[in-house]
Amino acid sequence: MNSPLVRGAPLAALLTPITALAAGDADIDTLRAELDAMRSQYESRIQALESRLSDAENAAEIARQAAGADALSLPMTAPRVLRAEGQSAPSGDRSGGRGGGLFGAVTSGSAFNPQISVILDGNYYQDDAEAGDGAALVGEAFWPGRSLAHEHGEEGDGHDHGDGGHVHNVAEPGFNFREAEISFTATVDPYFDAATYISIDGDGNVELEEAYFETRSLPYGLKVKGGKFLSGFGYVNDQHPHQWDFVDQNLPYLNLLGFHGLQDTGLQLTWVPDDLPFYALIGGEALQGNQEIFGATVNEAEQVALNLGQTQDGPRLFTAFAKVAPDLGRKHALQFGVSYAHADQQQQVRTHTHAVAHEHEEDHEHEDEHGHEHEEDHAHEEDHGHDHAHDEGQAHDEEHEHADHDHMHAQGDGITEELHETGLAGNADLWGLDLVYKYDAPKAYGQGDIVFQTEYLRSISDMKIRSSAHPEQIGTSRKYTTDGLYAQATYGFLPRWKAGLRYDVLGLTNKVSGGGRSEGFGSSDRWTLDVTWSLSEFSQLRAQYAYNDILVTENEREQFNAFYMQFLVSLGSHGAHKF
Amino acid sequence: MNRWLIALLALFAGPALALDLVATSPSMGALVRAVAPSAALTVLAGPDQDLHMLQAKPSMIRALRGADLVVAIGAELEVGWLPAATSSAANPAIQPGREGYFEAAAQVPLLDVGGTADRAQGDVHPAGNPHVDLDPMRMAQVAEALGERMARLDSANAAQYRRNAARFAEAVDSRMPGWQAQLADAPGVVLYHRDAIYLLERFGVPLLGTIEPVPGVPPSGRDLRNLAGKLAGHDGIIIHAPYQSPKGARKLGRELGWSVRMLPLEPPVSANGDGYLRHIDRWVSTIASAG
Repeated sequence: MNSPLVRGAPLAALLTPITALAAGDADIDTLRAELDAMRSQYESRIQALESRLSDAENAAEIARQAAGADALSLPMTAPRVLRAEGQSAPSGDRSGGRGGGLFGAVTSGSAFNPQISVILDGNYYQDDAEAGDGAALVGEAFWPGRSLAHEHGEEGDGHDHGDGGHVHNVAEPGFNFREAEISFTATVDPYFDAATYISIDGDGNVELEEAYFETRSLPYGLKVKGGKFLSGFGYVNDQHPHQWDFVDQNLPYLNLLGFHGLQDTGLQLTWVPDDLPFYALIGGEALQGNQEIFGATVNEAEQVALNLGQTQDGPRLFTAFAKVAPDLGRKHALQFGVSYAHADQQQQVRTHTHAVAHEHEEDHEHEDEHGHEHEEDHAHEEDHGHDHAHDEGQAHDEEHEHADHDHMHAQGDGITEELHETGLAGNADLWGLDLVYKYDAPKAYGQGDIVFQTEYLRSISDMKIRSSAHPEQIGTSRKYTTDGLYAQATYGFLPRWKAGLRYDVLGLTNKVSGGGRSEGFGSSDRWTLDVTWSLSEFSQLRAQYAYNDILVTENEREQFNAFYMQFLVSLGSHGAHKF
Repeated sequence: MNRWLIALLALFAGPALALDLVATSPSMGALVRAVAPSAALTVLAGPDQDLHMLQAKPSMIRALRGADLVVAIGAELEVGWLPAATSSAANPAIQPGREGYFEAAAQVPLLDVGGTADRAQGDVHPAGNPHVDLDPMRMAQVAEALGERMARLDSANAAQYRRNAARFAEAVDSRMPGWQAQLADAPGVVLYHRDAIYLLERFGVPLLGTIEPVPGVPPSGRDLRNLAGKLAGHDGIIIHAPYQSPKGARKLGRELGWSVRMLPLEPPVSANGDGYLRHIDRWVSTIASAG
């Protein structure tokens, strides 16, 4: 191949400019055009090579991430953005080839690990309640349908009902660590998102707050959530404690639903309709019904002893809710909601005591006579040492006869105190109305922002007496109705500083129908003022003062001041909160 | 009568005719209008709102519910609300990872990438500085990528989207020499937050400092004194966004004898491609006015 022709070619190429010198203008133009063509050819080739190189880099990066190399050595390193500076519009084949990178979000969440965040929530608490138990009292206000009948599965008897120390997240005077809330969230696959929220309190008790999957690809604006989650009932119900504008939960939620609100296991279906001139959401849930207060059932031993029947198969709790929000522009938001919940089964044990004379034979004869004195006698009993005494001082049913499971306590003066238990079973309904308004001021760090939020709850328990010391009462119905509301507002009075005011009240209405009395009830209410300082997006300090007027038991009120200093810090990835 | 007819037509043929678009910010809205002038567009935030501090609102969810494409700045700028809003909107088409989700930051190289993921350094985002929308060159790239994306989603009008994107890129190219000339001798800028660095980097304007010592943390008196000491004798201008506290900026301006200007990072809500270019004009002339 060493022919003279081949050897001659480079020489000819070298000589080309020389011959070109001798050539005419037309030739020069032709040569220029050729050169240009060659240049553009080279450029496109170089571009092609560059894009192949960057593809290869991409592939290597993906492989490395899949192998976990990054996760091991540099856990928080962000995925690199691999576009070359000079690269112009992505050509068709690039965007068609790999969807993920191009359509995805640039994020510092590390590859394939869920987003993790930890929120620490602690406080210093003081009150001037008589026994220093103000934080417990606000959750034990006196209302007709109240029952502290817990069903905590196997550990039902392990609870100490004596001092309130078992009550979830109740602050004691002094320092309290309320919880470390650990959350993991991630997209599971193209079909599901999932989240887990675990709460660990200051004593190390671990509680699963939420663990659910959520669909992400259902059509027609439908969404299904399954697992354990906070119900979409109402507004504040699905907020975690660190999202609250005040340290503690409002009185109606705390007393009618419990510290966790409606938190249960089941399924939720929501629908966001399209093409409406306003935002709307309609949803419903079927939940197992393992509740602390609303729709609670008692433990097995009591079910047997009091003829209440077994806990029905779930789901026993059903909810339905709707939200509507007009479009008020970019700075204002207003949402109105209505919610309903029905518990198929609710069981309660109510106890009361009365004093009777020694001779048992006399009991029946004196029935009517001691009817009046017993009103006083069955007042709040703190230390009768009885396992089943969930509901001291609350029975308003006039039962005067012995039953097999009654208990006697000898007192002096020839008087015996008897503890009567009444078992009730039935169902319960809950109605909720909520309204939220938010104003987003165009100022630094929340200055000028306003949030107004109010909710009304009404709880109705419709039950029948299943066992009683007084046989004639068995089978009669008791309907307890109680309601409550809270209204609160926060205002950003300085950048990063927010003041809040809340009024909450329980028992605007207190009704007992079906033989019971409804006098002796009243309302419990509270005024709360707080100031929250957000040092950064990730830390908050809050001071809160509340004046409480709590109905502790029939005709017995306790007024006290309560003071909190709270810290909230957030570690890990940025959270995103719903409206 | 005609109007009714059009409304009826729009009702039945609406989705097929054009795209229903949502932009998180006015700059993204301007880009959408540059690429698809006739598309139905909702812009979620105004220029006086901090995109990083916004909260999800029902009206956003409503807009996202029927959207074919959501155009975000991305790189975690909208992390506090957009994921919540898109998730609540129950619209599979616009979830991240799908064709209907577009992030400007994913289309261009980012600055401030990496760095320590240590919040002692403030609200840092190791994925990179998200404020790409103040660099006109990057925005031209983003427009072309957006044109491609819209072409995929609405192939009937593909040629038009590509043409419009190219036209926007050309408009940027033609303005560049003028901007470069204006900023050639700019002494530098103090920002409140590192939110205009893409513009400064593009034109080689020095960033002399930031009012906040680290991202997301307000300055103390000492921070401001240190900054003033460092910059004494230097020329420059202080620029802050409407939602950033002017107090520190004014104090520093008084001490240094510099002018303090409030400039939104984002163009007006109604801006189109030209509006965006005018917005850059405004920034350029403001920076050039120093010294």
